[in-house]
Amino acid sequence: MTAGLLLLVAGLVFLSGSALLAFYWAVQDGQFSNLTEAPLIIFDDDEPVGAPTDRFPSRK
Amino acid sequence: MKPQSLLSSINPANVPDTLASHERAEIDASTRFPVLLFFGSAIFWLLVGSLLGLISAWKMTHPGFLDSMAWLTFGRLRPAHLNTVIYGWASAAGIGVGLWLMARLCRVPLMHSKLLISAAIFWNLGVLVGVLGILAGDSRSIEWLEFPGYATPILFIAYAFIGVWAIIMFRFRKPGHVYVSQWYLFAAFLWFPWLYATANILLVWQPIQGSAQGAVNWWFAHNVLGLWFTPIGLASAYYMIPKVIGRPIHSYYLSILGFWSLALFYSWNGMHHLIGGPFPAWMISASVVASIMMFIPVVTVAINHHMTMRGHFDALKWSPTLRFTVFGAMTYTVVSLQGSSMAIPSLNTLTHFTDYTIGHAHLGLYGFFSMMMFGAMYYIVPRLVGWEWPSATMIRWHFWLVAIGILLMVGSLTVGGVLQGLALYDPTVTFRSSLEYATPFRLVRGVSGFFLLAGHIVFATLFVLMLLKVGQNRKGPALFVTEPQNKTGAAAV
Repeated sequence: MTAGLLLLVAGLVFLSGSALLAFYWAVQDGQFSNLTEAPLIIFDDDEPVGAPTDRFPSRK
Repeated sequence: MKPQSLLSSINPANVPDTLASHERAEIDASTRFPVLLFFGSAIFWLLVGSLLGLISAWKMTHPGFLDSMAWLTFGRLRPAHLNTVIYGWASAAGIGVGLWLMARLCRVPLMHSKLLISAAIFWNLGVLVGVLGILAGDSRSIEWLEFPGYATPILFIAYAFIGVWAIIMFRFRKPGHVYVSQWYLFAAFLWFPWLYATANILLVWQPIQGSAQGAVNWWFAHNVLGLWFTPIGLASAYYMIPKVIGRPIHSYYLSILGFWSLALFYSWNGMHHLIGGPFPAWMISASVVASIMMFIPVVTVAINHHMTMRGHFDALKWSPTLRFTVFGAMTYTVVSLQGSSMAIPSLNTLTHFTDYTIGHAHLGLYGFFSMMMFGAMYYIVPRLVGWEWPSATMIRWHFWLVAIGILLMVGSLTVGGVLQGLALYDPTVTFRSSLEYATPFRLVRGVSGFFLLAGHIVFATLFVLMLLKVGQNRKGPALFVTEPQNKTGAAAV
């Protein structure tokens, strides 16, 4: 019982801990330095902002 | 060019950068086979799982229905249903969507597709062996982990392949910002193999003793939802909603806050399934607190998706992807807040052990996750096969059948569950009568299963027609649209 619970708590700490480590990396890497430009990364010249990219197939 | 082997990909410098302006089409094409393999098998298991679920639902009200053979009894069919839809449908669909999104967001063609194809084969083999094992009577009787011990290593191999692949892809991504969807996907692909292995070691291969089993069980089962399905579903929504309407996320800051708070709080949630159980009070309390803290990620996602959609709700008329995705996103808000509320001990005593919980589970896994996956598939499949969906009418049938089906199911189970809970509270009501209160609602739930199964058959037909490229190809709508005037394309609806 005790060993199992210890392992479980270690598991919780590991999951949250890995998230904290990744967060530290992201801050160091400058991932959060420009949050205005960041969401535009999924758009490009071919599919720019303002161009919808999905529609029901037209009837023919 | 793709690196030739796993070894050569240790160093990113080995991969020359040859992508030109058509990189998106090239990236999509590179994902074709593995993604379609995962999608195809997912849809197959969806049909099997729906049928198993439908039969199980009818057995709740008609216990004599199909009880002539051991493998058709409720005790086997119900876990077979759960595991088929969890591992066969939802996980495989999620992996398919995840692979495609990962390649697009890393902005490199999918690498090591053989690794992924092997993963898909192992995956389906694992599900097949597991489901047959359950039907043969080898169920482990541990919720969400019913697959017998000889099936789980096969699934684990597949998970591990995908985890390794995710690390390689992440390492080879084009430099620049890591989009929020990618964080979600990366988290899901890395956490899940580890979660699955831990739970299997502690419960199936070397079982720990006593009530700690319950703690591990619910730690795992809730994390499947929170650290596997939720991140994949949200990754899809964070990509599809802005991409389809052509408008960046309303507040990128909130999306980041949402991801990191989810990463911190979700893994503590599982113990709220054990309120009132024989556990140290601090464990339950910590979990209840974490469940309430989930308000933060949920509300940030809700605000963000709503504000991104604001002024663009007419898009629901012209985009099948958006229609399913927004249904899923709205359900995510509802189901998550409902989940947090169910962790409040005073409310939990009413809903625990009633159909209310079953309704909640279906709202999460179907209303949120499966709808997200349908939406993503409507976006992805045309881009993989280079063919338009053959029939707008069938897409609408699919949507309305499953939307009505799931609302009917969740509505009936919720109301029935509350009545059942109130009856269980009442010392003058016998246990048998408390079940009888739920019976009419369970009948309605049985009927809702037909709607869902019918919707799935329509969707499976559409998918097969796409693979066979039946009919006349209609260039345009979903494929390669660049003209903004399509925004007013409601005429096609």
